[in-house]
Amino acid sequence: MTPIADIGSFNAAREAGMAKLQPAAPRIGVGMGTCGRGNGAEEVYRAFAEAIEAHGLDIRLAAVGCFGACSEEPLVNVWIPGQPLVILRHVHSADAARILADVHQGRIPPDLAWCKIEEWDHITARIRYGAGFPELPQWSEIPFFHGQKKIVLRNCGLISPDDIDEYIAVGGYQALYKVLIDSRPEMVIEQVKAAKLRGRGGAGYATGLKWEFLAKAKDPSKYIVCNADEGDPGAYMNRNEIESDPHSLLEGMIICGYVTGTQQAIVYVRAEYPLAVHRLTRAVEQAREYGILGPSVLGRGVKFDIELVEGAGAFVCGEETALIASLEGFSGRPRPRPPFPAQKGLDGKPTNINNVETWYNIAPIALKGPAWFTETGSARSAGTKVFSLVGKIRNTGLVEMPLGTPLKTFIYDIGGGGVGECSIKAVQTGGPSGGCIPLEMFDTPVDYETLAQLGSIMGSGGMVVMDENNCMVDIARYFIEFTHSESCGKCVPCRVGLDKALDVLNGFTKGAGNSAQLALLDELGRMIRDTSLCGLGQTAPNPVLTTLRHFRYEFDDHIIARRCRAGVCDSLALSPCENSCPLHMNIPRFLGLLKRGRLEDAFESVILDNPLPASTGRVCQHPCDMRCRRLTMDAAVNMRDVHRFIADSILLSDHFDAMVARVADRKLPPTGKKTAVAGAGPAGLTAAFYLALLGHDVTVFESKREAGGMLRYAIPEYRLPKHVLEREVELIRRMGVKFEFGMPVSSAISLHDLDEQFDAVFLSIGTWKESWVHLPGTELKNVIPALLFLEGVASGSVSQIGRRVAVIGGGNAAVDAARTALRMGADATIVYRRERKEMPAIKEEVDAAEHEGVKLQFLSAPHRIVGDPKGNVRALEIVKTRLGEYDLTGRRKPVPTAEVARVECDAVILAVGETIDLDFARGSGLTLRENGTFVVDRFTLETSRPKFYAGGDVITGASNVSNAMGYGKKAARRMDEALMGVKRFQRLSGGFDASEYEAEPATEIARQRPAELAPAMRVKSDAEVVVGLTRGQASAECGRCLRCDVRA
Amino acid sequence: MPQKRISIRIDGELVSTVEGKTILEAARDAGRRIPSLCHMDGLTDVGACRLCLVDLGGGGRLAPACTTPVQEGQAVITNSPRLLAYRRVILELLLTERNHICSVCVANGNCELQALASALGVTSVRFPYRYPNLPLDLSRDRFVLDQNRCILCTRCVRVCADVEGAHVWDVKGRGIYSRLISDLDQPWASAASCTDCGKCVQSCPTGALAEKGKAVEEMVKQTWQVTNAAERKRAVL
Ligand code: SF4
Ligand code: FES
Repeated sequence: MTPIADIGSFNAAREAGMAKLQPAAPRIGVGMGTCGRGNGAEEVYRAFAEAIEAHGLDIRLAAVGCFGACSEEPLVNVWIPGQPLVILRHVHSADAARILADVHQGRIPPDLAWCKIEEWDHITARIRYGAGFPELPQWSEIPFFHGQKKIVLRNCGLISPDDIDEYIAVGGYQALYKVLIDSRPEMVIEQVKAAKLRGRGGAGYATGLKWEFLAKAKDPSKYIVCNADEGDPGAYMNRNEIESDPHSLLEGMIICGYVTGTQQAIVYVRAEYPLAVHRLTRAVEQAREYGILGPSVLGRGVKFDIELVEGAGAFVCGEETALIASLEGFSGRPRPRPPFPAQKGLDGKPTNINNVETWYNIAPIALKGPAWFTETGSARSAGTKVFSLVGKIRNTGLVEMPLGTPLKTFIYDIGGGGVGECSIKAVQTGGPSGGCIPLEMFDTPVDYETLAQLGSIMGSGGMVVMDENNCMVDIARYFIEFTHSESCGKCVPCRVGLDKALDVLNGFTKGAGNSAQLALLDELGRMIRDTSLCGLGQTAPNPVLTTLRHFRYEFDDHIIARRCRAGVCDSLALSPCENSCPLHMNIPRFLGLLKRGRLEDAFESVILDNPLPASTGRVCQHPCDMRCRRLTMDAAVNMRDVHRFIADSILLSDHFDAMVARVADRKLPPTGKKTAVAGAGPAGLTAAFYLALLGHDVTVFESKREAGGMLRYAIPEYRLPKHVLEREVELIRRMGVKFEFGMPVSSAISLHDLDEQFDAVFLSIGTWKESWVHLPGTELKNVIPALLFLEGVASGSVSQIGRRVAVIGGGNAAVDAARTALRMGADATIVYRRERKEMPAIKEEVDAAEHEGVKLQFLSAPHRIVGDPKGNVRALEIVKTRLGEYDLTGRRKPVPTAEVARVECDAVILAVGETIDLDFARGSGLTLRENGTFVVDRFTLETSRPKFYAGGDVITGASNVSNAMGYGKKAARRMDEALMGVKRFQRLSGGFDASEYEAEPATEIARQRPAELAPAMRVKSDAEVVVGLTRGQASAECGRCLRCDVRA
Repeated sequence: MPQKRISIRIDGELVSTVEGKTILEAARDAGRRIPSLCHMDGLTDVGACRLCLVDLGGGGRLAPACTTPVQEGQAVITNSPRLLAYRRVILELLLTERNHICSVCVANGNCELQALASALGVTSVRFPYRYPNLPLDLSRDRFVLDQNRCILCTRCVRVCADVEGAHVWDVKGRGIYSRLISDLDQPWASAASCTDCGKCVQSCPTGALAEKGKAVEEMVKQTWQVTNAAERKRAVL
């Protein structure tokens, strides 16, 4: 290589590069960053090389950098002369041969092709590849890329990082050349200032100002330093930038050197990045050979050289004074500022430190000017920023977005939303020293100021997405553990303060904590933030302070209820399934007992945890399935069907009386306290059962004629036969519970009376009013709310519903109504405005409905009900919707399109949700929320009126059976505590001998599914659809349990 | 070069001082005491203990008085409720970090940490004690190092390096595991660089470095051997 000394030799290098980038033959580029290599890119490269060699193909092979889409690695790009550049994804070495064969014939394997690039804006140049492959989407049409703007990453994944010619071919070193020829250094500094470029390492200090300081410093031996010591866990943008495009970094630094009159530069690069070190070393060598570094840069008489120093990778070296100490050979501990490095830095000389990414913006600014640069980004933060998007999100990878882009664009549009069915709840920005931003704030534009206002930081651009399976207390603990171990130890607040904070947080995750410690943690966090010496300590409390601010309730859960909803803090739960069960059933115990053939003991275990085990065994939403660890191996243990089996085997057998007596034996001695329960639904029955067991006198007031609430009146016979429910109610009655039917609270017995006659009252009257939709035509005959319909069917007052029925809604009531209509001989269609996966109904029930012949219309919003002059329903008109923007619940909003359709029908059932009966609520004199639900203390369930507790749908709004029961159980416990002044609840469930259900290795058999009636049979009657597990199946299922309750 | 006189406000009071001084010095000249611990006259400041933090207003960060130079027109607040609260937390943190059991300490009654705690009213701590299991270095003839009392102010490190020029002391490890070491983490007696001058002992604010043979309460530090004893005593209060 000869040094470039004039424009002629510069152009020659450029042409040489172009000939490599777009040769006369096809070119294949394999993405060989660390991420690609980790996914097998090296084997892919080798396979290509060997096949090309073996077949003597005229195809060029290049190792390029990373294109950013980490979840799609290994990525390969293919260019056939005259055609667009095509990106292939998930390429394996086994694919090499067929790719080559296709390319050789001018084709692209369609199964691997992801998108195409017809023209690429390298900012410093435009490269045209060609048009063609109409069937392939443009790269910018892929959601992951849509909206990205590649300024920093302009060359990444497209050129070979090891070849300076290719860099020059895409306009590299042109900005440097221009700056040298213009020879007006101050103007370049002005440009950088005007471009409002801010440091990309985190603090966001104006780069132009820093340069100005350096330019003004008279000392002839001053330094430029590039901080490439990326230390945030999960952040790898700097690594990727260097690995994919090292020359852009050099160019930025050389420009700075020239305009500030600095001759020596250092890149402090993390030693754990061997590939980056290797590529950077090569780039420096090549630049020296070309005379781009050295005594006379590009022959213009300017001296500049770059030295690489490998750092040991301490997080605290992100702090510039610590980095300088490390460069000087001292241990990496920060020093007080002033003096600032711009005055006294490395070896006491004026020093300017910029982060890797900052340097990548220099050449574009120098070439295209500040006006162009400020077109992108927000008012105070111009340009783009590279983020590493990781965590509980579908598409992970490096994304470069304009500053000021709202968080939700990152999460939902680029990231594609949550993984599986989990909902996202927060995003943590800025690495370990950033803060957690809750879902409600996803409208936040991502720029330096806004993030700071929310208590977070931009940092180096880490974005970790968290969903409901993340515990925010544990997240806070994790990050403090990290900064605690990275603290240099020099200043007291950070060294000792973080240790205390970690101590407190560790306690919280283990269930040892109290509210005083919570307040202390908050005070300590602020103190560490305000008093620490350097950025590490000043930002370390951010994760704690933001989670305390936005996720206070999770801390309260850990401290007051000693529960971790996410199931992460395992000292707070028996097992993941127990933790997720609203009734907190000891699932491993009853599985273990049944496995040993101890049916009666298993029943006792079940009934003490859950007084309606047969009903819940049929209709529960079974959240336990979602959390079962066995899910990661094959399928969750079928816990719901096992407890149904256990319950059915006793309740429906002649063991019933004996077992009832055994349970009744557990009753604590009479306390003489009188308690009342309003409403005999699932919550009320549950509370009554436990209050009776605890020795209290219990009276249940119910407005209807029979007990069961929704279980009896809303859930159809084919899902829950009435005789099953009746046995459960009978058991509860035999515990001594008195029922008063036809006694609606407030009209038949007033709250005042209850107050007078009882020592404690539990209100669980449920939600019995169907919400009404404002739809033209609802006044027509045969338009009926789902609850009214189902209740009418259950009580025998409704026996027909027309021939063709449209059901509006997507919840369990909608599905139940449609299937019931089917059994009455009608044709049923469910009309739902979102997609199937967003239906709140239990998935199995939706599937069953479909098998039986219920039609499902998604993305359809009711528009009006069309009637005839006689007032009969003729049709339901619907507007087709499409999924629009994500709303703040993380779901995409259905937006109406112009397309209108008709569902011919003669009856419409409205199943759009139930609400509380406001007349009762208002009359109660209790404090209500806006939606009519009662305000209660989250942990004690006390209402605003002494002695009165509330639970179930009246506090949550319409929910489901097991949630309601969970509240009933909790209320009984709290009422008992208040009445007796001691905690007695645990006494009810004692006496199980753990040796009777010792853990044994789990078996490998598949999940047992209960038999079902054939769909054709089902619709002919209201016989129960799901027959249940056989004894053999049930005990086999028990053997699948991994026994998470047993800890080493 | 004659030094330029400037005026600043400290807690509202106008104070005249000269350019180049730190806020801590200017305050002391004006008879105002800002609590400090890692600062020692005659040594380079490191701003490590954070006790001397003052508020320069404007909602900006708190600044350590020991390393922040005075500036014309500066308005310094040294005793806001927030600062007082933070200082107390710092002392609570130091007192619980290691084993500061005054009743059996040679420096009892002559300890800067103890004096500050009583001056700032720290009579109890809200954090659990760590009770680390730390060694004593009794290898040297005349002096002892008791890690249990060390607060990592690094005054010994600096006096040895800056004044004596011996560089015996350093800190190894990081975070809560930081430890004072002599030479390359060897027993003090085998630290060849040590000149036995004892400056470190006299500079240490607590009983971590002490003369052998001193019983409880007997170790009175002669800090004046390094700077001026009178200055030190007043600075502590
Ligand atoms: S804040 Fe932490 S890392 Fe920074 S100087 Fe203090 S102890 Fe060291
Ligand atoms: S005396 Fe200023 S920080 Fe310690």
